[in-house]
Amino acid sequence: MTLPAWLDDLLWTYQTLIHSLGINGLLALAMYVVLACGQLSLGQAAFMGLGAYSGALLTMKAGLPFYLVLPASCVAPVAFALIIGVPTLRLSGVYLAIATIGLGEVLRSAYLNIDALGGALGLNGIPERAETWMIFALLALSLTALVLVGRSRFGRAMEAMREDPTAAAAMGIDVARYHLAALVTSAVLAGIAGCLAAHQSSFIGPNEYGFEPAVTILSFALLGGIGNPFAPIAGAWFLTLLPELMRDLPELRLALNGIIIVLAVLFLPHGLLGWRMRRTPEKLAGGAR
Amino acid sequence: MKRRHLGLLAAALIAAPAFAQAQTVPVGAIEILSGPAAAYGIAIKAGMELALDEINQKGVLGGQKIALTVEDSAGNKDQAINAARKLIGRDKVVAIIGPTLSNEMFAVGPVTNERKIPTLGTSTTATGITDIGPYIFRTSLPESDVIPVTLAKAMTRGVKTIALMYANDDAFSKSGFDVMKAAAEKAGLNIVTIDSFGSKDTDFSAQLTKIKGLKPDAVGISALVEPVSGVLLQARQLGFGKETLFIGGNGSNSPKLGAIAGAAADGLIVGSPWFIGKTTDGNPAFVEAFRAKYKVDPDQFAAQAYDAMKIMAIAIDKAGAADPEKIATSLGKVQFSGVMGPFAFTDHRDPATAAGVVVLTMQDGKFTILQ
Amino acid sequence: MLAQQLVNGVLLGATYALFALGFTLMFGVLRVINLTYGFTFSAGAFIALALTRQVGLNIALALPLAALGSGLIAVLLDSLLLPRLRRRPSAELDSLMVTLGAVLALYSLMTAWLGPDIRRFPPGTISATAIELAGVRVTAAQGLILAASLLLVGLLMALMTTTKLGLAIRAVAEKPDAAGLMGINTPRIAHLVSLLSGALGGAGGVLIGLNFNAIQPYMGESMMLRGFVVIIVGGMGDMRGALIAGLALGIIEVLTAGYIDSSLKEMVAFAILVAVLWTRPQGLFGRAVGQRA
Repeated sequence: MTLPAWLDDLLWTYQTLIHSLGINGLLALAMYVVLACGQLSLGQAAFMGLGAYSGALLTMKAGLPFYLVLPASCVAPVAFALIIGVPTLRLSGVYLAIATIGLGEVLRSAYLNIDALGGALGLNGIPERAETWMIFALLALSLTALVLVGRSRFGRAMEAMREDPTAAAAMGIDVARYHLAALVTSAVLAGIAGCLAAHQSSFIGPNEYGFEPAVTILSFALLGGIGNPFAPIAGAWFLTLLPELMRDLPELRLALNGIIIVLAVLFLPHGLLGWRMRRTPEKLAGGAR
Repeated sequence: MKRRHLGLLAAALIAAPAFAQAQTVPVGAIEILSGPAAAYGIAIKAGMELALDEINQKGVLGGQKIALTVEDSAGNKDQAINAARKLIGRDKVVAIIGPTLSNEMFAVGPVTNERKIPTLGTSTTATGITDIGPYIFRTSLPESDVIPVTLAKAMTRGVKTIALMYANDDAFSKSGFDVMKAAAEKAGLNIVTIDSFGSKDTDFSAQLTKIKGLKPDAVGISALVEPVSGVLLQARQLGFGKETLFIGGNGSNSPKLGAIAGAAADGLIVGSPWFIGKTTDGNPAFVEAFRAKYKVDPDQFAAQAYDAMKIMAIAIDKAGAADPEKIATSLGKVQFSGVMGPFAFTDHRDPATAAGVVVLTMQDGKFTILQ
Repeated sequence: MLAQQLVNGVLLGATYALFALGFTLMFGVLRVINLTYGFTFSAGAFIALALTRQVGLNIALALPLAALGSGLIAVLLDSLLLPRLRRRPSAELDSLMVTLGAVLALYSLMTAWLGPDIRRFPPGTISATAIELAGVRVTAAQGLILAASLLLVGLLMALMTTTKLGLAIRAVAEKPDAAGLMGINTPRIAHLVSLLSGALGGAGGVLIGLNFNAIQPYMGESMMLRGFVVIIVGGMGDMRGALIAGLALGIIEVLTAGYIDSSLKEMVAFAILVAVLWTRPQGLFGRAVGQRA
């Protein structure tokens, strides 16, 4: 099957953008998993970096085929999640957010100082192995899994933890265990996203995994909403397309980006897609603390 | 040829593909026009557009005008790649100038090279840029050609020991440092210490105090102009005097150094392929035209971009057709004498000669040629 | 050399402490990670720059005016962004997000307006000569920052502990709802805290801008991460803690860079942050205003 030349051109033109939609969708899900359990954990960029670096090294140095590299690139992020998980998850709210950002900065600093990782020069010449279908198949798979989990009794437990962790614990939910499981899931998703990203743009560097990307990933989920797993993906797609749609206004691009986030938070409190994936009638929001 | 990109991707998806119009030659550029590093891209854009005004008076290929589309990368590699793909896929450009940073070139280069679009870096000085592929060129001298000239000059002034400082979190500074270290070793200088800092740092007192205790003859700094200025200001506060020679990498080669650091920068030396007082063909006219158009002094980035635009125009003209493959072939053969001096490419698409490199020194906030 | 390094550390630490004061006040009282704080820092520096450059004011006059100006900017921003969110169940998250969007827009608008270039105060705004004492050199700007940090901490602590207003602020920090019931005008206190915190941020911007002589729209952003470290280690809302933690961080960073390896400087700062959060999330001094983690 050959595509007509103009369609082929069009797909080529927007290939990186289309790939970014899939990868950022996965990152948004990584954020959703922890937010849905009521954890403001911002380690996704760090997990992504671990997945990207370990994946790129496995491809370039060990010469492994991509179908092995992809699952293997989850190992480092998951190990990191397990090591930091127990002490870190005792924290809540903004403390957890700041701790995870701090850990991300420690990792970024490490990449800068390890010569084998190229320091600030990063790793160049990573072969293009991530195919469009692969990225979107993984996104669809993760989305389906999260919808199924959300509909099960785990989903109800997650909702309960998000609304009121103390009450959830009193109801016999093992909050610590759920939180660690969510963190590990988040690490898997972000690690895969990092590995895919590394294998589609041929170059990775430490500054792609610092503070700024961490908050960008957070903004995907917040803009879209966290009531259902479709919402964060919508947020990611919106924010990924936004800079491309505003190509003609270079000076005001970042400013408009910021203003849109402000307006969305102020006037769309439940995100772009605010519905909840619930069978139970909606509780009255507002006032609950 | 700047097609209004009406915003909606949906509209883009059904819109007919662009056809290169007969009377213009579409050329693209990718530069940093927004965000914290915008100053570089803005200078480059200014240099290119000034050259374009002159080129389009006569035109290329028998009177066709070059239509330059400048895309913003915001210093972000994904946006730089998206810009390259948009330029090639939708605007059908026959050649690309840029991107601004070496880091961005490492991301963009493989994409443009795959599509066989000649890509000309004007400010990418890192090692390995032209290794990306046969369609990647640069007019900017790699640091590895400039630094040895500077160090040799320093050694004629009795420099035997050197301390090295660099910003370890950006690719430009790190790559410049790698070159500086190798060149210092090769020249037989004794490196007493190597210290790093972050490119957004404002405090360098710990590193400088340590260096002061070691009493090197010279301090080599590889970083962008902002941190270099900070280092110099603080060095003077800590009592570094004339006995220590400060040697800058490519990042120090900016009129902003004098503007920010003032008298603290006096005495710093830097190797440069260009400087504002250069008397090569056309340079005084360029400086005057630039001042008239933009009301500021041009810097090295603007000068390099000005020459690069002209080199590109010659290549297009000599190619005989607005065809990327032909332009790539003729680009490699361009012989040119511009504001930077005589110019040609090596077989590996780097600048052939570092003969135009001059060593400058800062005096009263302005660079002058070091005799 | 050690003496000079210790002095370097104290002076660097004073800039951290100065930056963190307003940040910790805002955080401790209003329970909000307000990312626009970094913008008030940049705004203060630019207002002072305009006043000294264009108006020709003396820096001693420009400094308080710049502080007032950035305080008012903070009040304006906060009253536009935050009150609507305070009642939401996810107030913490939403205010983080909204201030993130706002600060992104503010920095880029400021860059579009003023250009990305670094500017400096007119030469001679403050004496650049260094005083040398027993081989240790300190400049006037550095001395000023140290004195200002100590003075501002003292004034703030006096305000919080000895005045009625301070009592009201602490009440709002502790239990906003109860404070409202007790007849404290909570929104007014919130405005006042914004004003104070913005003014502190602005003053910090002027002083630190004077010291490093580099004023640039994004200057506040690069201080933010260190600000986080200081307010966590010092304890959120704890002024004295912020001072001690700021100084300690400065000294540790300088000693790491001077005697171990300068490339580890940043990593050490964040490793301390994580270690403190893991072991004592309420801050090393354990006197944070209001609730704990």
